[in-house]
Amino acid sequence: MANDHVDFEAAEGEVHALLGENGAGKTTLSNILTGLYRPDEGEIELFGKRIEFNSPRDALDAGVAMVHQHFRLVSPFTVAENLVLGDHRDVGRSFVLRPRAIEARVEELSHRYGLAVAPRARIWQLSVGEQQRVEILKALYQDARILILDEPTAVLTPQEAGALFETIRAMAADGRTIIFISHKLHEVKSVADRVTILRRGRSVATVPAAGATPRSLASLMVGHEIEAGRRQDGGSESGEAVLELEEVWAAGDRGVAALRDVSLTVCAGEIVGVAGVAGNGQRELAETIVGMRPATAGKVRVGGRGVRNGDPRAAIGAGVAYVPEDRLGTGVAPGLSVASNVVLKAYRKPDVSRGPMLRMRHIRELAERVIERYDVRTSGPNVPAWQLSGGNLQKVVLAREFSGEPVALVAAAPTRGLDVAGIETVHSYLRDAAARGVAVLLISEDLDEILMLADRIAVMYEGAIVGERDARVATVEEIGLLMAGGGD
Amino acid sequence: MVNNSLVVVVIASGVLFGTPLLFAALGELLAERSGVLNLGVEGMMLMGAVTGFWAVERIHAARPLVLAAAVGVAALAGTALALIHAFLVITLRANQIVSGLALTIFAGAAGLSSYLGNELHLSGKPARYQFQEIFPKSLQDLPIVGPVIFGQPLLVYASWACVVLIGLYLARTRVGLNVRAVGESPAAADAMGVSVPRYRYAHTLVGGAFAGIGGATFSLSITPQWVDGLTEGAGWIAIALVIFSFWRPTLCLVGAYFFGAFKALPFALQGHGVTVAPELFQTLPYVATIVALVLVSSRATRLRFGAPAALGLPYAREER
Amino acid sequence: MRIERRLRQPWWLTVVVPVLSIAAAFVLSAFVLLLTGHPPLRSFHRLFDAAFTGNGALSETVVSATPLIFTGLAAAVAFRMNLFNIGGEGQLYAGAITGATVGLLLAGSPSPLIFAAMIAAGAAGGALLGAIPGILRAFFSTNEIITSLMLNYIVGLVLEYLIFDSHSYLRDTSGFEASVFPQGKTLPDEAIWSSWTIHGLVLPLGFVLAIAVAGFVWVLYSRTRFGFEVQVIGDSPRAGRYAGMRTRRKIVAVMCLSGAIAGLGGASQTGDFRHQVDPRGLRAANYGYTGIVVAALARYNPFAVVLVALLLGGLQNAGFTLQGADFPAGLVGVMQGLILFCALGGELFVRYRVRFAW
Repeated sequence: MANDHVDFEAAEGEVHALLGENGAGKTTLSNILTGLYRPDEGEIELFGKRIEFNSPRDALDAGVAMVHQHFRLVSPFTVAENLVLGDHRDVGRSFVLRPRAIEARVEELSHRYGLAVAPRARIWQLSVGEQQRVEILKALYQDARILILDEPTAVLTPQEAGALFETIRAMAADGRTIIFISHKLHEVKSVADRVTILRRGRSVATVPAAGATPRSLASLMVGHEIEAGRRQDGGSESGEAVLELEEVWAAGDRGVAALRDVSLTVCAGEIVGVAGVAGNGQRELAETIVGMRPATAGKVRVGGRGVRNGDPRAAIGAGVAYVPEDRLGTGVAPGLSVASNVVLKAYRKPDVSRGPMLRMRHIRELAERVIERYDVRTSGPNVPAWQLSGGNLQKVVLAREFSGEPVALVAAAPTRGLDVAGIETVHSYLRDAAARGVAVLLISEDLDEILMLADRIAVMYEGAIVGERDARVATVEEIGLLMAGGGD
Repeated sequence: MVNNSLVVVVIASGVLFGTPLLFAALGELLAERSGVLNLGVEGMMLMGAVTGFWAVERIHAARPLVLAAAVGVAALAGTALALIHAFLVITLRANQIVSGLALTIFAGAAGLSSYLGNELHLSGKPARYQFQEIFPKSLQDLPIVGPVIFGQPLLVYASWACVVLIGLYLARTRVGLNVRAVGESPAAADAMGVSVPRYRYAHTLVGGAFAGIGGATFSLSITPQWVDGLTEGAGWIAIALVIFSFWRPTLCLVGAYFFGAFKALPFALQGHGVTVAPELFQTLPYVATIVALVLVSSRATRLRFGAPAALGLPYAREER
Repeated sequence: MRIERRLRQPWWLTVVVPVLSIAAAFVLSAFVLLLTGHPPLRSFHRLFDAAFTGNGALSETVVSATPLIFTGLAAAVAFRMNLFNIGGEGQLYAGAITGATVGLLLAGSPSPLIFAAMIAAGAAGGALLGAIPGILRAFFSTNEIITSLMLNYIVGLVLEYLIFDSHSYLRDTSGFEASVFPQGKTLPDEAIWSSWTIHGLVLPLGFVLAIAVAGFVWVLYSRTRFGFEVQVIGDSPRAGRYAGMRTRRKIVAVMCLSGAIAGLGGASQTGDFRHQVDPRGLRAANYGYTGIVVAALARYNPFAVVLVALLLGGLQNAGFTLQGADFPAGLVGVMQGLILFCALGGELFVRYRVRFAW
């Protein structure tokens, strides 16, 4: 049950935060509020009147709009086209599009709320932060009275987040209601009027933000006291350089350089965290290291030896394990069984196949061992992978990557979408790996995660490494500044 | 006379022969813009050809009315077939490729169109009424533009109007914007209240209508008889045409006439006393299609000019 | 109406749904027959008789089914990896041509040698043709559906050219009729493929070969590394690349394999049945396209392909036998299409559970 008898109310002109960890039910609630899901039980009241949403259209007409974590923008369209999409309000009057009128309105809204963006720009040309502004403009263009923002700062630098909060306050001052979904305590404190905490599908409490402390909120969220902290242990003794990038350049999907002159070293037993706002080359960095993207210049070395460019098999052979951020689409073949996925990379090894023939029974046994050892919740090794939850899938991926006894591990956004237990599991794997001498490169958008796990932090901005810091002493402000391009 | 020269004859015939391709391609373009791949174009064209021919034989009225009705019947036949495909792939989420192929087999040269054509005894005679040139002889005799522009039957001019209308529709209207969104990002369109299934149904059905008209162009103007399988793969070329027109109507026109010219070339050469083995010549349009497709595909993979991103993928709100 | 993805697919669904689809298609065909004034039950009875139960019908059905097994396997092999090889038709023609050429060239050699050579040549011809869309897809990202389809038309025209318009090696230029009624040269007796008769049922070499190929394909796809890679790449090309698989080479390899199997069908056509290159007959038969129907109905399972090929072969055979004024031409295509539609629609019930909300 994703939402269990949740009571929720928000006032006009209020910024109301929905706090909860991954899997607590925040997204489900907001999907109901925007007409994407229908509640099995219960009712919704808008401005005192009972209302039912049968489709997103109904919600939009009623003035409820949402800015999702994964933007619902049409990439080849311009900003203006995205705003106008589906706008039925004046369909009688203007069957034909009137570009100038639209652009004028866009400029007006931009100015009023501090959301600068060029109406004629195409979405794929915009940065992630700018795309988010377009999403907010969409809601304002449809004159939404209630805006739901789902984890909006996940893709912003600390400074951009500040600008967003200004916008939110401006919208609230206009009498609009903002529902702000987050799992970040300090944000919630700084922007919200009231906070509702969801835990395991239930609403646990609704408190004014002024009186709450991050600690009190955290304990309500999780149900017990937690200690967030930095990497306490001194870390294991770092050994020699295992993974080296030397002046690596690589092209992005659109032909523009995504990696510029990147040089990075990860030593055995070390965890290097790559911080940065999404879209600054992190994905391309991971892909280039593991051979899924050819480097246009520079060299990748593992254990001192160069790895053949653009060849995943060479990287695998050199001992590089990869936990991709796109779990279901890249890390796993979703339609194939868990067993097949366990041997996805190992099928060529002599114990899994004899010559051209696979050793089927051995594969099944291998899978069963993995399932048991890593506590993967599934009814059997022959279940198709898409049925597994995010956390269990990640366990399979991690199990598989470790079974190859890697010397280096590239983990890209490994805890995205996982609940607290899942996140803990992944963190403990990463620490274990480092303890065993694996060179770990952790690429994550979650600065807290990096601060917790990493020995060193490298910050990426526009495809380059703009600064490296010792994680034990770096401050959030410092890192935030680097993330925003305020370089060394 | 320059109008009898090889070049002019090929261009003028090319326009005519390209017209069924153009109709079918425009229809498929609309369907694909909404994200639905319909490989049944050949089958829909054949059904349009046979039903249009049947209508001309059976309906008794003044010539223009009969021809208009025949075109309507052909469009309806194409639409009916497209409805099967639409239901299977939109509502039942079947594999779009297999469904389209099934449509071609069902309605194609060894299927329903053949069944109907033979049952209704439609073969062996020319159409009772045909689409013929409409401009006066004097205009047709003008150098070059005479045969190429003024010497064409009505259907050709209708196709030009369609190119313009569809181009404006897609680029300038709100509904056109919505359908482009449905094809690029059904999730975004759905979140904005655009009904993905409704748009897909509508455009697939209209696509079928156009394919039907394209087929009727064969049986009521070009051939103008009914023969089993008279389209000879035009439907498939039309599908390729959509790809290398980058899903733009004006480029469809250029491409259609290009292929029409290839088709016309052997006949024109024959008229000039050059005989080359006809079969080898007839391979030219197909070879040209492959070559053009290769040239275009390596560019088309670049996002800018590429296919509607959601083409061929079923959309399910819950599965997002 | 709500549609939910099924978590478990009960095995019986994968059998019941296709069977019900066929039944549904028969019902729909009955409507079509009724609408055009043919008595459905009688037509079906005649159909069944001509296909399976009549005198010598089963042997004739085996003859019709043999090429369909080949083209069905060819399609299944490619479609399993999401490679939509529509070129089975042309690849079969290619195999018929190369098989005939070798058969004629080796006149005078011992039969087993000729058979082996024809088989090899047929496979090679089909494989070469299949390689073209494969390479274009793997290295130039060109859509294989259109390219393989265009090649069908091209090879079909070449096929006709070889017999009708040229004085090629394959054309029979002896006899005074030769220039007026162009025909392919007939294979020498030693090149005509053997057959075995069991209890009155004639099993040609091609049929036996087809069954063997089905078994080979099954082993290949379910028990070997090659098959594993095909499964992964077919499911998720990105995951395949992530796992270090050589996706582009695999695409070409699978297209060659698919083409080779279709080419074997062509060689069988020449060696078993037609004994010459027969453009008219081959083009009218549509083996390639029907093979796709077979593969889709069989849900790409090699053994199911054999069964479905026998079913559709029976239909095809009956269609030929009964052809005439009182039996509608084109009915076979209609029925095949209907079967396929119903199967496609039935797929929904295999993958999803449909709930009706009142």
